[in-house]
Amino acid sequence: MTSPKQWREEAIETALSAQGIALAPGRAKSLARELQALLEASAADPLLASVEFQADPYGFHLALARTMAQTQ
Amino acid sequence: MSDPALLSIIQARKLPARELIQACRARIDQWQSRTNAFLGFEEGPVTGVPLAHKDVFCRAGRVSSGGSKILRDGVQSDTSAALARLDAAGFADLGRLNMSEFAYGTTGHNEHFGDCCNPWNPDYIAGGSSSGSGAAVAARIVFGSLGTDTGGSVRLPAAACGVTGLKTTWGRVSRHGVMPLSPSLDTIGPIARSAEDCALLLQAIAGFDPRDPVSSRVPAPDYPIKKHDRVRIAISSAWIERHTDPEVGTAVLAAAKLLASTGARLTEVEAPDFDTLSAHCLVVMQSEASAQHLRWMRERPGDYSSAVRARLELGYAIPATVYLEVLRARGLWLDHFCNQTLGGADLYLLPGIAVRLPTREQTGSNGGPDVPRRVQEVTRLARWVNYLGVPALVVPCGFDSRGLPLSLQLVGRPFSEPALLASGHAFQQESGWHKRVPAHGPARNGESTWAS
Repeated sequence: MTSPKQWREEAIETALSAQGIALAPGRAKSLARELQALLEASAADPLLASVEFQADPYGFHLALARTMAQTQ
Repeated sequence: MSDPALLSIIQARKLPARELIQACRARIDQWQSRTNAFLGFEEGPVTGVPLAHKDVFCRAGRVSSGGSKILRDGVQSDTSAALARLDAAGFADLGRLNMSEFAYGTTGHNEHFGDCCNPWNPDYIAGGSSSGSGAAVAARIVFGSLGTDTGGSVRLPAAACGVTGLKTTWGRVSRHGVMPLSPSLDTIGPIARSAEDCALLLQAIAGFDPRDPVSSRVPAPDYPIKKHDRVRIAISSAWIERHTDPEVGTAVLAAAKLLASTGARLTEVEAPDFDTLSAHCLVVMQSEASAQHLRWMRERPGDYSSAVRARLELGYAIPATVYLEVLRARGLWLDHFCNQTLGGADLYLLPGIAVRLPTREQTGSNGGPDVPRRVQEVTRLARWVNYLGVPALVVPCGFDSRGLPLSLQLVGRPFSEPALLASGHAFQQESGWHKRVPAHGPARNGESTWAS
């Protein structure tokens, strides 16, 4: 996954406003900082580069089945 | 009658239910002012071994608040599948337990109903979000409790309060009639006095339910404890020594040795990438939780606590592409954990919480700029398990120099609950830490609870 760009307060305010969410006063700055940290931590995952084009978000159900314990 | 504080569920089943319930209600009177574990009590006649549950499990005709102001008076029209199954198995329900608002917190703070406090010392966090479950079981008010675990919410209160908690495989227990937080991660699990008691509760609630869209059709086996001979346990000793509090690390490594003495074979492996997997868990949790709460966040945002509102606000800014990319990688990470981290091992061993417990003040609204770091330290070893969807068991493994519980966590492959419970039981048979009961002391407001 491409590293996310720097999130700014204005972008946070716009994104929430467009969804009808009233941001608590003075919170945009800290939210931008938290969001940036979260997305960077997630994007640093080396395995993301191995996710195939055909990978499906619901493929996790199949992974549960193929990795389940054989102790039943 | 025997002291109910010292009994297991199997022993309690042999006693007259009426006397047992009276004894537990007496303990509510004794402990409520110290722990604030209960939000509401069942006043009418009940029968069976006494339990009480996190206030997200709906029961027809009764309020389920989710620990929130918004649902404070919300009378439910349906009973959750898990409570119905416990009713059918002959357990009594003594009431509704305190929790983090909408299960969206990890410390047990609650500004609407008051914080739930740790029975070992009410100045310290009880863990969350199933905080009342951990506190009520630790104080021996009830024999067990159901909690939910989306990012550690069964295991953290179990670890903080010195009791046993099982996070089940995603899909193992029906979530029908339970308030959602993040459907891709939400699970239900028991908190009890021992692994053996957790097994009895799991036996009652596990199994397919067509009303839960992710309920698994994998048959629920017999959970009562089996021997754990020759179990292979992976551990990352160097990581534990480097990255956990010294008191935590010493206790957990000693616990691993004790497990080895019961027949387990230990294997050193590279530690999973806890921080990356935790970030993925948060991306999923925050995106989904914010979607669940969209209507109320538009119409009545002022009815949320400031902390929960801030977490929800963040979710609306996470790009959908990032959310879906993280879900697309989930199966790959589960394969990696099972094939690379576990490899030939059955279970992975690590601390329940990597640090010594912080106080409620250090992690509350007056805790200052260090609050996020302190909370992150508490949750660091919990969320990665939810992203993988696998089961995990937390058991007490000692006490720190302040007399607060320390915990061991075992993580397994999907649907490996029998192996987790067997190893937890083997450890508890040898260690006996789970039999320690907190002494009754001053209430959280500093007043003697005996006066009330």
